[in-house]
Amino acid sequence: MIWLTWRQHRKLAFYTLLGLAVLAAVLVPIGLSMRHTFTDLGLAGCLHPSTLSEAAAQTCDVSLRRFSDRYDSLNLVAVLLITLPVLVGLFWGAPLVAREVEQGTHRFVWTQGVGRTRWALVKFGLVGGAVVLLAACYGLGVSWWVDPLTKAAHEGRLGVIVFDLQGIVPIGYTLFAVALGIFAGTIWKRMLPAMGITLAGFIGVRAAVEMLARPHYQPARTQTFPIEGPGIPEGDRGNWVLAVGIRNPDGTMVAENTRIQCPPGGKGPDGRVCGAELGLKPGAYNWEMYQPADRFWLFQGIETGIFVALAVLLLYLAIRRVRRIA
Amino acid sequence: MDLVLEADRLGKRYGRTWALRDCSLHLPAGRIAALVGPNGAGKSTLLHLAVGLLKPDEGTVRVFGRSTYGDTEGLADIGFVAQDTPLYRDFTAAELVIAGGKLNRRWDAALARTRLAQLGIPPDKPVGKLSGGQRAQVALALALAKQPRLLLLDEPVASLDPLARREFLQSLMGSVADSGTTVLLSSHLLADLERVCDYLIVLNAAQVQLTGSVDELVAAHRQLVGPRHDGAPIGGVAQVVRASHTDRQSTLLVRTDGPVTDPAWTVRDVSLEDVVLAYLADGVAQTSHSEWGVAA
Repeated sequence: MIWLTWRQHRKLAFYTLLGLAVLAAVLVPIGLSMRHTFTDLGLAGCLHPSTLSEAAAQTCDVSLRRFSDRYDSLNLVAVLLITLPVLVGLFWGAPLVAREVEQGTHRFVWTQGVGRTRWALVKFGLVGGAVVLLAACYGLGVSWWVDPLTKAAHEGRLGVIVFDLQGIVPIGYTLFAVALGIFAGTIWKRMLPAMGITLAGFIGVRAAVEMLARPHYQPARTQTFPIEGPGIPEGDRGNWVLAVGIRNPDGTMVAENTRIQCPPGGKGPDGRVCGAELGLKPGAYNWEMYQPADRFWLFQGIETGIFVALAVLLLYLAIRRVRRIA
Repeated sequence: MDLVLEADRLGKRYGRTWALRDCSLHLPAGRIAALVGPNGAGKSTLLHLAVGLLKPDEGTVRVFGRSTYGDTEGLADIGFVAQDTPLYRDFTAAELVIAGGKLNRRWDAALARTRLAQLGIPPDKPVGKLSGGQRAQVALALALAKQPRLLLLDEPVASLDPLARREFLQSLMGSVADSGTTVLLSSHLLADLERVCDYLIVLNAAQVQLTGSVDELVAAHRQLVGPRHDGAPIGGVAQVVRASHTDRQSTLLVRTDGPVTDPAWTVRDVSLEDVVLAYLADGVAQTSHSEWGVAA
């Protein structure tokens, strides 16, 4: 069985590794230069603005801007990297059963001495194991690569795209994509429909989890900043900000998705107190709801757990379906 | 009498259509049995049930006394070549022999290699690039290497040209003659199998129409030609299978249970093909008239 699995998939394995090698050859030099710039600009000291003196904060601002100007376009590359797990699902998962049934070879292999349940277990196990290894390498590599970018970005590692790229979540995503592909193949039994369903299903589930579930893995925290004060109020870089707004002292939201800042004793253009034209009463404050940066690994664990659980469920259903295909 | 395959009121349904229903048959050991019926009669379904790919919706099917669905142990005794002889097309024949060895506890790789060498099959060419006849031979060699006690072949010669058909059947007969393997092979054409089989199962419209050894079937049927027949019983006739009439004359194909002595009838021997066609003529076009919404 192991020999057969290897023989059947060695070509695909070769091309997958080749693709990863090419990707690494492109990304590693970029990553190295990014890290050098990060160190040269002294950005490591800028990550907790609340602890900085005013002069240091300004230097940091300039350095951060220089870093972003140079490397911001790489965020596009990061977006492209997000698609890798679903590609593995499409090309490794979907054909696993669908191709056998499409070409009729399931009738050959399932009537040999190993039963089809064992066939499914070994095959899913080996492909799943290989994929986990692959995803772990990918997750580690991308974590290393994207680290300076995330540190320089306001939201840090919890930010919407970078969170999905690094740590252990790629393992969950990839396993889920492969399991979804296998399962779709046992239902539709043709490669192209199975691949289409896998793509649609993967995007749907990922989007749903990302938008509906992830912000609520832990109760969000809130913090407030006074309206009057020096500089732009800022929490620690790396917090995942879910919502901001300005509230009156009684807690009613006056303006969503905005912050204001006035110098101490500042007046608005019409001579009234700062912010009065928005309907702010004295004592109004900036409000922010966020997930703190130190929840990164907790969130990674929860998200990976969700997708691994979904993958296990799909594989179980796929094995049940395999027993009914003739 | 040893029974290899027993089906008892076996039925399989796809959606609301029964692909096979109320199918009872017994295949004795050591036979070369032909499973004959038109396309869509349920031949593949019966074979898939027999090899355990399908789970019966009704009744039971047993091979060597074991029900086959989900029974991995029993698979070792059954060799199966599916329709269109599916094989991994990018594997070479030599690799398929290795694969078979990995997938089976009992595996005679030397037998497979010897057969393939005798047939002149190249060992290092992907089987997808072989001719249909060669691919069928590879599939047969793989099935025989399992040293099965029952060999099931689903339309093995349907896609082959007449020469390849003859070669395939000859090599099949040559290899099972000594081992005493029971063979059940299906075809929609009796002519393909007539020369090799000694047992016959006729399947039509999801039902078994006829089953028995070829000699007995031929011996038990006669063609009678005589004056126009009105359905009155004829001495020695157990059943009129098929009747055709002209104004003054009737031609009947009958199953006999004794000598037909009535001098009004001319009695003729029949060929196996006559018998099969007589049974197949029943029940083909009965439902389609109503489905098309036209008068029968």
